[in-house]
Amino acid sequence: MKEIENGVNREQYLAKYTRGTHILGRLCTAVTLAALLGAPFLIGAYLGALPDLGAAAKAFVSVGLVWTVSSFAEFLIYTPMLGAGGGYLAFITGNLINMKIPCAMNAREIAGTKAGTPENEIVSTLSIAASSLVTIVVLAAGVAALVPLQPVLQSRTLAPAFDNVVPALFGAMSYQYFRRNLKLAAMPMLLMSVIFVVAPSLTSQTSLLILPSGAVAIGLAYLGYRRKH
Amino acid sequence: MLQELNSPVLYLICGAIILFVAVTCVIFMVRAYRAGKAIGMDPARLRRTVTSSMTFSFLPSVGILLGVIALSGSLGTPWPWLRLSVIGALHYETQVAEAAAEAVGIGRLSAESMTPRAFSTIALLMSVCIMWGMVLSLFFNKRYTSRLQSRESDEKGPEQKKGEESRNNARKKAAGASFADTAMTAMFIGLISAYLGSYIGGFVSGNGKFAFHGDITPIMVCLVSCVVMGLLTAIAERKNQIWLESFSIALSMFAGMTAAVLL
Repeated sequence: MKEIENGVNREQYLAKYTRGTHILGRLCTAVTLAALLGAPFLIGAYLGALPDLGAAAKAFVSVGLVWTVSSFAEFLIYTPMLGAGGGYLAFITGNLINMKIPCAMNAREIAGTKAGTPENEIVSTLSIAASSLVTIVVLAAGVAALVPLQPVLQSRTLAPAFDNVVPALFGAMSYQYFRRNLKLAAMPMLLMSVIFVVAPSLTSQTSLLILPSGAVAIGLAYLGYRRKH
Repeated sequence: MLQELNSPVLYLICGAIILFVAVTCVIFMVRAYRAGKAIGMDPARLRRTVTSSMTFSFLPSVGILLGVIALSGSLGTPWPWLRLSVIGALHYETQVAEAAAEAVGIGRLSAESMTPRAFSTIALLMSVCIMWGMVLSLFFNKRYTSRLQSRESDEKGPEQKKGEESRNNARKKAAGASFADTAMTAMFIGLISAYLGSYIGGFVSGNGKFAFHGDITPIMVCLVSCVVMGLLTAIAERKNQIWLESFSIALSMFAGMTAAVLL
């Protein structure tokens, strides 16, 4: 087996890298979690009024439970796509559906890596770290220049552009993915269009419908695979 | 109240957490780059991954900045800045903040009705509601990804054994391994289909069932960015302009968003 450094072969090196990723990922997740939960209390202490835990619990039951369920689904579905390092980072930095997942998939296309391989794990981690840093820098710069930027970003002329960031993103990505998988994409595309045409109120719940749409696509892909093998 | 919510102390608290997350990203990035080089990945390809991810993320990040601006009118700037930099999601923050404002009894989310207690409660709820992905990641990422990996190495192991039976086994299992890649692609196609379907549904039945009077802009934006992506891909492939791959998504999105302004 090919040696990488100091008598360590590829498998040993990757095992060490993965161990390190989990230690680092867990540590950073725990610290971020503690900081996020602690911040409202710290700010509350500064403002002279700690959070009302009763009201928070009541509101959590009315809105939080939906997000809790969707967090479970997101964890189960997206972790295999992102890998260990990418998973830790993506769940710390958020904006999964509208940015991190498409970004990681795009990086996978460019690097030509296969899901579940160490190469894909590395590419995914690189892409999510780079993407998160861009968001952090853009938001920091935006906040620093909030006063001069506000009229530009909130102008009526530009409003339609920023209202359509997600359609622009998925339009571009649909070309990338549909052109090589046209047959596979036809059924979920048709099914989702019919569902949303019949029940247009579901457009506010699009993220929940990703699950059945993905299940149909995976089911069809499996059938295709069985026929080939 | 808004003055207190924009005080330097709040900037300091929120800024420190964001800085910690930024450092985390840098550490992960450097480790991944070094590991990629060590296992023989092409450094130019690794750099292209970083460049394309950065250009890809710029426009959506500006969209997220709009979320900060939208919430800063009622919650001040530091807290929305933190929430949208760390685990936040653009579509989530406003919804939860509104619901929390109702639950704490201030009615609508607004600077006039905001009180210190209402603010700290809303801030807590915004953190608690969305933290579950992180909690699951903390406790189960290792077990989950290890299980996925061990399944793949089980699938590769028998290939080295001799004999007809183990070769057949290896073939079957290798097929399973490459299906994982197909399944990921299929899942992503499902995700895109859900969004594109919602735009079609919005146009056809958004203003009354089968009225065809809903908002057509998202469909047109999708079409424009899809066509531009097709053109850029064709140029990159036919003229062998690999560098263009790093910018094609960002440029296509820019074209789609420009179309939204012009329509």
